[in-house]
Amino acid sequence: MGKRKLPDPKSLGGDINEQHEKKVLDMIRKNQGMGATTSELKSDKTIPPTLITRLVNSLKKKNLIREVPNMNNKGYKHFIAMEFQTSKELTGGDWYTDGSLDLSKIEDLKAKCVMILERHRHRVVTLDVICGYFDKQENLSVDQTKEILKNLILDNEIMEVVSNGLNEFAATRIGELCYKLAGKNSGNGEAIAGTSFASMPCGACPSIGLCSPDGVISPGTCVYFQKWLDF
Amino acid sequence: MTTTEYGIVYAVHIITVQFGSVVSKVCEFLLRRGPLSSREISRLVEPDMSYNQVKDILCLLIQHNCVQAFSIEPPDGSESKATVQYIVLCNNILHRVRYNKFSRIVNEELDFKCGAVLDGLLSNGRLTLGQLIERDKDSGKPTGSEEIRESLQKLVADRFVERIPSPEPVLGNKEQELAKKKGSKAAKILKEPETLEERVLEAATPVDAIRFPHIFEQDSNSPLADNDSNIPEGKRKQRDVDSSDHNNEVIWRPNFEEFIRRLRHKACVEIVKERRDEGCAIVLKAMLEVGRSHEKKVKTDKSVPMSLSSIYEEVMKTEAGRTLVLERVEACLDQLSATSSYLPAFVIEMDDSYVVDFKSILSVAQKDEIEAVVMRRYGKEAFRMFRYLSQEGRFVETNKIADAALTEKKDTPQILLKMWKDGYLHMQKLVVTGSYVPFLLWKVNKLIVTKQMLDEMYHASLNLSLRLAHELELEKEVILLSSRERDKKIKAKGLLLSSTRFKLDDAIMIFHDF
Repeated sequence: MGKRKLPDPKSLGGDINEQHEKKVLDMIRKNQGMGATTSELKSDKTIPPTLITRLVNSLKKKNLIREVPNMNNKGYKHFIAMEFQTSKELTGGDWYTDGSLDLSKIEDLKAKCVMILERHRHRVVTLDVICGYFDKQENLSVDQTKEILKNLILDNEIMEVVSNGLNEFAATRIGELCYKLAGKNSGNGEAIAGTSFASMPCGACPSIGLCSPDGVISPGTCVYFQKWLDF
Repeated sequence: MTTTEYGIVYAVHIITVQFGSVVSKVCEFLLRRGPLSSREISRLVEPDMSYNQVKDILCLLIQHNCVQAFSIEPPDGSESKATVQYIVLCNNILHRVRYNKFSRIVNEELDFKCGAVLDGLLSNGRLTLGQLIERDKDSGKPTGSEEIRESLQKLVADRFVERIPSPEPVLGNKEQELAKKKGSKAAKILKEPETLEERVLEAATPVDAIRFPHIFEQDSNSPLADNDSNIPEGKRKQRDVDSSDHNNEVIWRPNFEEFIRRLRHKACVEIVKERRDEGCAIVLKAMLEVGRSHEKKVKTDKSVPMSLSSIYEEVMKTEAGRTLVLERVEACLDQLSATSSYLPAFVIEMDDSYVVDFKSILSVAQKDEIEAVVMRRYGKEAFRMFRYLSQEGRFVETNKIADAALTEKKDTPQILLKMWKDGYLHMQKLVVTGSYVPFLLWKVNKLIVTKQMLDEMYHASLNLSLRLAHELELEKEVILLSSRERDKKIKAKGLLLSSTRFKLDDAIMIFHDF
């Protein structure tokens, strides 16, 4: 009588591991661009929690998933299947590339927008015209163009007006959204016209809370005053 | 608004410069501790000052309209006597740096002779007509008693000068007053509680007919005499000292209220001119002229309603307004009444009438000042965040702010924290179950920011004054080795410091007085 061959322990474990791995991958794929976090994967009771890290690393090595940080919730990492594009919710938005805000692109788009309005200084420019330009030249969606315009309004460089069909609005429909430069009230890094506090050293001083008549920082010893009066 | 810390420090500095540190010490006690009796002040300052010195200082401060005496009626049935207390009038102290602005108004609206009479009252605090005439006689170029009397009459007619208030009004006991009013209709009308200062000033101020008399005769039979028929019930007081001197001449003083009202109107016209156009500014000026005599208090939120015809009539009186036709005036009113995403309406149109919205006009200037400081101090990204939060008017979470302002999410908390530390933002932590890290919510609280800005502006005004003194001290040392070039530079520095302080004071008035 021959000896009964004992089942190969590796192959047994290997089968179970493969099954778990497939399950993890399915869970990740199910959420498409959002993927799943470690804690979400551990919530499945059929997979031993101690195995999750090993399974995830194995999937990463096989290039089936990638790890993406959650820009809105630091400390949380999401695993996303390679077939899917990372959701905007995780990247932070349209303007994020590899987790960083593409500042130079944003500034470039803003400068182009201001240039359009400068060319039509004595009139207003409608939202449709601006969206049309950015769609053609920069491949921006209407929402993305609106974001750029909103940002310029917050910069106080342009203003949003509603057409009444008269004067500078003569070429536009009544009620249409238009934009024009903010004029002398533009922010542009300079003190806004007519303001007095901001145009003197104390207005811009980060240490005004520490300054006192007889203190270490005082009007008599202040270096900002010294520079301001040095002419 | 209660006085801020640097408001107090600045007020004490003004008194120190003009009257010395002994006087300012008494002033500071009143500013920090509230109303005190002369005995209480004396106990606080001894042994540096005697009781009589304290009384002299109080008389000096009253003479210059910086302090008002008063007493509170003891409770019914009590045998105790009412103690005279002294309350400091911080606003009047701060007005002392604006006297040249007040003089300019009178020189422009009336004439230089009236300006000279006003200057006498400003530098002496309060004077009788006789004292004004004496002062004129002692000056290098006397104008004569008739001219002085006429000038004073013009000043009183235009309300630039008033009769001094009652020297020691008696306030009713507040608890008794409330008990009397209980159940009455008056008690049901919601009214903002008056501060003690407001109550004292209301009790001390005579009725308009006495405050701004048309007739200047000075005898006991005249309408000016302090008999009971001139004093309304509720304001009748002990006839120990009245608002006349021992010769029974009326004592006059500048009416700061009217000067602040004129400056407020002027500022509103400038704001409208900057943000709309010249035409709108002319129309607004006319509206302010029409409504001025109906204003019950300086800081009124809205003017009385006025018709297009009354506005147009007033516009036509001015040289600049004569070129405007009715249609243009109507177009300006439409512009002033329009609301947009970047400017609120300055005028409210209702039922063929127009109302000036002072609060709206001044809020635009306040907003610009605050945003300019945010830009200079914290940078462009902070500026965007601050403007976004101001527009939202509610708490917003950090990441949402970063998305709206298009700033790096990792940098946004630091920028917001800097503004919060300096009192420009309000912050709240939101703990959510299941989240280890609380969410931070941010908001612009306009009242808190306004108070913070005002305190910093007082601080800056103080700094400008101290720096000017410092530069003048240096000038004294340098003068021995002087060169023309150096002299010119020192004078230019002095001019820059003084003119900046002058303009900064306009901003302070926008936040505090207007």
